[in-house]
Amino acid sequence: MDTQWETYEVFHQSKRGDPHEHVGSVHAPDPQMALQLARDQFARRMKCSSLWVVRSKDITATDYQDESFFAQVVDKSYRDPKAFDAPDKLEN
Amino acid sequence: MDRQSHADISRHSKETFVLNLADDELILGHRDSEWTGYAPILEEDIAFSNIAQDEIGHSLVWFSLYQEMTGADPDAMAFKRNWNEFTCCRFVEYPKGDFAYTVVRQYFFDIAEQVKLESLLDSTMESMSQTAERLLKEEAYHRLHSESLLKRLGNATVESARRMQSAVDLAFPQSAGLFEPVETESELIKAGVFKCHDALLNKWLEIVVPSLESVDLQLPVEKRDGKYKPTCTPDFGGRRGSHTAHLKTLVDDLQKVFRMAPEAQW
Repeated sequence: MDTQWETYEVFHQSKRGDPHEHVGSVHAPDPQMALQLARDQFARRMKCSSLWVVRSKDITATDYQDESFFAQVVDKSYRDPKAFDAPDKLEN
Repeated sequence: MDRQSHADISRHSKETFVLNLADDELILGHRDSEWTGYAPILEEDIAFSNIAQDEIGHSLVWFSLYQEMTGADPDAMAFKRNWNEFTCCRFVEYPKGDFAYTVVRQYFFDIAEQVKLESLLDSTMESMSQTAERLLKEEAYHRLHSESLLKRLGNATVESARRMQSAVDLAFPQSAGLFEPVETESELIKAGVFKCHDALLNKWLEIVVPSLESVDLQLPVEKRDGKYKPTCTPDFGGRRGSHTAHLKTLVDDLQKVFRMAPEAQW
């Protein structure tokens, strides 16, 4: 019998307004416990303003084998916004 | 009684009271640390290691206050005292047991700490009320953690219910030690340092009993005149230096590295 709890993926936000970034996963019996355990694993040393958890099995992902999903057969480089500088911060 | 000796008693009773709090935290923190590498699930291993560090950190806060009052060095208090000089209650000395016992003990302790710290918020000793305010913030998470485990394990499966009930049967009479009346109790109450242990025990029972009953765990208590009363014999003794042999083993372990090289600089 599998005695491990389910896994939850953990998303961490350093400060309000920043994107939540995937930082890893935790085993937990339910979402509330997952948040608590994620706090111990990922929010204890890193500055944290918010955590998200989501059941790993609820994530729908692409298959690495299925390369055709991302295939690009003709040159589309003209579509890349290469000629522009995109600064991290916009000044006004 | 002349004024000088009265002041001495009052000072001594405050010092002992702070030392009781420091010792409880240090010894339970050490017990929690014994799960490092052994907890039933990796995440709980880390959670208990984290809580162990927090409890030992809290003991340092109390030892530092004790140092302000007496000059005693916190490291010396932890590493140079004989095991029978510790003033912790027996409750925190007992071996970590199975995970159910650890969860129940931690829950009982966390609620007791919350009740004690809240009562200290209006202590006439300013250093006491400030310390209580600081520690309460971190304690809230400990409570959330142990309460969450208690509520999930209490009646989850036949096996978890059996283990949790055995843990409660064992831990409940022991936990009375957290509210063991101290010799100088009347001094402390008169000086407004502290509210009496009996009143705190009542508050504690009002939280603990409904919480355990909500997950079908039975406690040896009866309700009289609207108040819960334990019907078991309390496991007292720690505050007057009557400890179990478990404390000797624990303190040997705690002081082992220090004794190998007492003068080492870390």
